[in-house]
Amino acid sequence: MAINERANGTPADAGAERYLRIEGVRKEFDGFVAVDDVSLDIRKGEIFALLGGSGSGKSTLLRCLAGFERPTKGKIVLDGEVMNDLPPYERPINMMFQSYALFPHMTVEQNIAFGLKQDGIAKDAIRKRVGEMLEMVQLGKLAKRKPHQLSGGQQQRVALARSLAKGPKLLLLDEPMGALDKKLRSRMQLELVNIIETSGVTCVMVTHDQEEAMTMATRIALMDQGWIQQVGTPDEIYEQPANRFAAEFIGSVNLVNATIDEDEPDYVTLKTPAFESPIHIGHGITGFPGQAVSFAVRPEKLDIAKNEPAQPHNKARGTIEDIAYFGSHSVYHVRLPSGIKLMANFANEQRWASEGLTWGDQVWLWWGDNDGVVLTS
Amino acid sequence: MNARALKRFVPGGRWAVIAVPFLWLLLFFAIPFLIVLKISFSRLAIAMPPYTPILEYVDKALTLRLNLGNYVALFTDSQYVLAYLSSIKIAAISTLLCLLIGYPMAYFIARMKPSTRNIALMAVVLPSWISFLLRVYAWVGILDANGILNRALMGLGVIDTPLRILYTPLAAYIGIVYCYLPFMVLPLYANLVKLDLRLLEAAYDLGAKPWQAFLRITLPLSRAGIIAGCMLVMIPAVGEFVIPEMLGGPDTLMIGRVLWGEFFNNRDWPAASAVAIVMLLILLVPILIFNRYQHKEMEGRLT
Repeated sequence: MAINERANGTPADAGAERYLRIEGVRKEFDGFVAVDDVSLDIRKGEIFALLGGSGSGKSTLLRCLAGFERPTKGKIVLDGEVMNDLPPYERPINMMFQSYALFPHMTVEQNIAFGLKQDGIAKDAIRKRVGEMLEMVQLGKLAKRKPHQLSGGQQQRVALARSLAKGPKLLLLDEPMGALDKKLRSRMQLELVNIIETSGVTCVMVTHDQEEAMTMATRIALMDQGWIQQVGTPDEIYEQPANRFAAEFIGSVNLVNATIDEDEPDYVTLKTPAFESPIHIGHGITGFPGQAVSFAVRPEKLDIAKNEPAQPHNKARGTIEDIAYFGSHSVYHVRLPSGIKLMANFANEQRWASEGLTWGDQVWLWWGDNDGVVLTS
Repeated sequence: MNARALKRFVPGGRWAVIAVPFLWLLLFFAIPFLIVLKISFSRLAIAMPPYTPILEYVDKALTLRLNLGNYVALFTDSQYVLAYLSSIKIAAISTLLCLLIGYPMAYFIARMKPSTRNIALMAVVLPSWISFLLRVYAWVGILDANGILNRALMGLGVIDTPLRILYTPLAAYIGIVYCYLPFMVLPLYANLVKLDLRLLEAAYDLGAKPWQAFLRITLPLSRAGIIAGCMLVMIPAVGEFVIPEMLGGPDTLMIGRVLWGEFFNNRDWPAASAVAIVMLLILLVPILIFNRYQHKEMEGRLT
């Protein structure tokens, strides 16, 4: 495989579109497959999130990118250069570690300068670059401090500055918010995105936190058991989940089993034992009559009221079993006659608005033709 | 109410726990030390004990006579000065050798799997369960002209005439390094095993080759272990008597042997005491440096 990737003559814009190519990467540990034939193309300048639970293979894939693990099979190509055989210290890739891994015996300044010194850059140039980095993360005043004298948020910014100091082609973030408390998290997420976007670096991050991935990333790859389940923008993944796993992993969802009844080019109807009336979808899908599918609809897409809606389909009758009050909205758990339980969000747009509905009330739930998704797997 | 108030002045259980080791130190460390200090200021006498008292009450006059002659002799007689310098040199070189051998040992033990790690640690510690004297004496059997080493080398045809190692300074070095190696390995191991391996990954990630990461991360972070190990080897090695006596030749000059000679051969208790006191003062310097460093390290951790 000694082919020079640059000689393949890919056009310049295609190079930006496929800046980082992960081609059929597989990683096995003693017969256990952690990453299973993953292929991804990552664009130049984007923040790409690998999202998944523990054991999904996301961290192993990140470690393959950093060079700490060697893929059993497959290729990693960054900016036209094959990375597989390069040790971590020769890759133009830097990583911000989960617990930051700041060098405890060095000051903030020395931590940031570490990688530059390693490259044998002149002292003046290093000082200038470290100054720029400190300014970027707004830590100029703390340059002489040791890591243990900094707060969690400050440590994170030092770690970020250290990993950006060498101007890497690819920045890796391993659970970037993992060590911060919840309140600091949401602030740092946006701050981190701002800094990364200012520096223009391409970024791959790993997280198990869907909110973090949706807030920070331009695109998300959802991983499970070493496989990529879906790749897409945050709203694509949320609104158009590719399968049951994707629908259930992100946010909350009502899932019912159904079969395709009518399959027309501009609409589809589903039969389900869950509801008394049929499900009507306002667009065509790839399927065939009689095919078993799942129907997914998010709780906030459901409307809830005591009166029966006028529409002949896309509705269900039930009894309120539980109410979860979240302040901004309430979630009603409604038990249908079929035994299925549906969740419906009710936005509390007015104060005390939710007082009208209470436990044991008979209510109707309904949704629009394009509010739900048909999942074939 | 009164009983309660009084109870505050009655030593409690906590007090007793602290008092026992303090009493022990006072009885078996501080008082003997003061006696040695006293003898060092007295004069040699043909008597029992063989020195003059420093405090005398004669003719209604209490006289305190501090004889500095023993100390003056230490600094004017080149024999003593040479012995001190030679002791420090031998101890320093032995410490360095222990560090050079012990650091890689500790490093690789710390990197082993936890199960094999314990076996390796046992292998380091196990020899010290045998009597110190016996282990040193075993080296006589190894290094002797007719010893195991020479017979093996001659048997293999590497050498024709036996190597003269026993009763040379080299044998003393071998003995000291062998006996004190565990004291170097254990603190280094305890330090290195705590090293966060993610720091090394971070260093590689930032462009450091493994040996550079070792020099810039592992080595500086193990400084406390290096200092502790060096102190534990250096301090007892300076005063070492048994090893140079049994393995070293007559030219292996160490202060422990001088002390022995003064005490047992010359029966000059005052001179021997002065030798011991000065040795203690010399050792006090590295101990103080060590303590200050440890103190600083602790402060750094806490703030």
